[in-house]
Amino acid sequence: MKCIAAVALFLTGTAAAQDAPFPIAAWSRTTAAAETQGSPVERGAAVFNNWCSACHSRGPQNAPGTASLQAKYQGSVPAALEDRRDLTPEVVKVFVRNGVAMMAPFRKTEVSDGDLEALAAYLARPR
Amino acid sequence: MPSPPPGLSERDFQAALRELEGVVGREWLFATDEDVLLYRDGYSPLWGEADERFASAAVAPSSVEQVQGIVKVANQYGLPLYPISTGRNLTYGGAAPAYSGSVVVDLKRMNRILDVSARDKTCLVEPGVSYFDLYRHLRTNKIPLWIDTADPGWGGLMGNALDRGGGYTDIEFRDHFDAHCGMEVVLPTGEVVRTGMGASPQAKTWQLFKYGLGPWVDGIFSQSNFGIVTKMGFWLMEEPQAALQVSVTVPKRRDVVPLVDTLHSLMCAHTVPSQVTVASPLMAGNNPELVRLRGSGGASDADWDRFAANAGGAPFWAATFVYYGPSKVIAAQWEHTKERLAGIAGVGFRETASYKFPLTDEQAEAVADKARYGIPSLNLFGSRTAPNAPPLEGHMDFSPMIPPHGEELIALTDYTGKVYADQGFTPSFVAGMMFHPRTMICFHAVPTFRNAADNARTRKLFETMVRGCTERGWPIYRIHPVFQKLGMEMFGRDNGSLHRLHETLKDAIDPNGIVSPGRYDIWPKRLRGTQA
Repeated sequence: MKCIAAVALFLTGTAAAQDAPFPIAAWSRTTAAAETQGSPVERGAAVFNNWCSACHSRGPQNAPGTASLQAKYQGSVPAALEDRRDLTPEVVKVFVRNGVAMMAPFRKTEVSDGDLEALAAYLARPR
Repeated sequence: MPSPPPGLSERDFQAALRELEGVVGREWLFATDEDVLLYRDGYSPLWGEADERFASAAVAPSSVEQVQGIVKVANQYGLPLYPISTGRNLTYGGAAPAYSGSVVVDLKRMNRILDVSARDKTCLVEPGVSYFDLYRHLRTNKIPLWIDTADPGWGGLMGNALDRGGGYTDIEFRDHFDAHCGMEVVLPTGEVVRTGMGASPQAKTWQLFKYGLGPWVDGIFSQSNFGIVTKMGFWLMEEPQAALQVSVTVPKRRDVVPLVDTLHSLMCAHTVPSQVTVASPLMAGNNPELVRLRGSGGASDADWDRFAANAGGAPFWAATFVYYGPSKVIAAQWEHTKERLAGIAGVGFRETASYKFPLTDEQAEAVADKARYGIPSLNLFGSRTAPNAPPLEGHMDFSPMIPPHGEELIALTDYTGKVYADQGFTPSFVAGMMFHPRTMICFHAVPTFRNAADNARTRKLFETMVRGCTERGWPIYRIHPVFQKLGMEMFGRDNGSLHRLHETLKDAIDPNGIVSPGRYDIWPKRLRGTQA
């Protein structure tokens, strides 16, 4: 029996520097960003890809969260979280740890405090 | 600070927590209000009420040895535990315990894919492995195997299988418990057991042959509380050469009888390999006359067919399913299916999607009905459809199981539609889902709320349907922890002998009653009779 180590991230750090960093493929949407390297923003981008993009990518075909936010805001703010310029780290943390509507909160075994700091840094980064 | 479990002093609780911390490390013991609330059932039908189920703490081991250490502490203090795998079984209770005060054993950190055999088409995984994880592993390593995913891809193979969930591909894989082969369990005493061939130390067939020697015990670890499962093997589907998704439509209400009879036959003959959904495009929607008919409880076939005649041509029923395999075989299966159904006047046949495998990433992303091709997603989620519409806050799945007979599907939708209407809910249409060839599951997404008044209505609706469907021969196959006592009552023939057998086993396997007290209404002796 061969043993396969716990999943390792395949994202590259350079992608986070771009405005539309990730050509998200369905199969890349997965869990556990535990071993991410790089800056907080790069790590946060990986956390987003792992935990948020399956609902909140630019879709909206494969992003029900983006579709819901489009229905809610009707374009007054971008529906895709990565396109928002008004998010603060605090707001990101509140929603991840408290959930909203159908979105249940994320536990620390899923998104650790360190990952959450990085995610908040990524979504609230100055652009 | 969360309260200790009932019957445990604050002093002993704190002592137990200190010992748990010693097992897993400070970072992985969660005992503050803020952390423990992350284990709340976000869709609880008891949200904010006195009976809502809360954990007292959570502990997250990373190894079997740590699980054993946790069990040892629990036995020492009489600490109730509640293991979860990925904790995303949202419509059936999420990460919250069945018994308030339990310490959640969060197995999410045990997320290793221990083995994948392309040759044998099997895998061995830990509890925290999600469908996304295994899918990514197969794609990354170009292993031509498919997973069978539950609708939400963040669910775990193990947790979904142990709660007897299902998916959409071939029958050998989509009944997730049936698709497992071998497990490892930490018993409530701390002893580790491997089932099936895994009990033979040198066996090369743990993931290949289910039974081993002697009684096959795997079943008692599903929908139960007899141990903490730490590894499970699964059979995986060889990637087919091609797939063809089709839709078969019929125009009249009673046409569903020959439609389902024929599809049932074709499924049992393995001509139709996939899950089959029998839905009604006509009955969906919010037209007032439509809603009235759905809630009438007894509109005749003639009433419905009159409505259908004026409905702009929407077919009354549509069956959706997929063929997998070589293109030539698929063509023959589809042709045979059409021949078998041709006798239904007005039947329509449509090919809705076809694929050749493997797919590129872009092609996989573009697949509309992903779960039918083993591609995990979260596409079922979505809360809002309009800016001022109240968002959906949650739901519970009410899941009665009926024979694969069209007349039963009609009778069930008549009955539950009327219950919805009588209790002030908009009667929604329910499809018949043939996950298993010999039954249909008819999921009702019963809404839950964040206020007690609406949840009281929801609970009444849910209980009425559980009892009413059981009386009509349609008991449920799975149920939210808040209703597990009620659910097991529905399996109470012979004065509850099955339930007594469960609790006899509980007493033997878990003498101190530490693992998931109350799950599926199985209570340890020390807590028996203490629950309303």
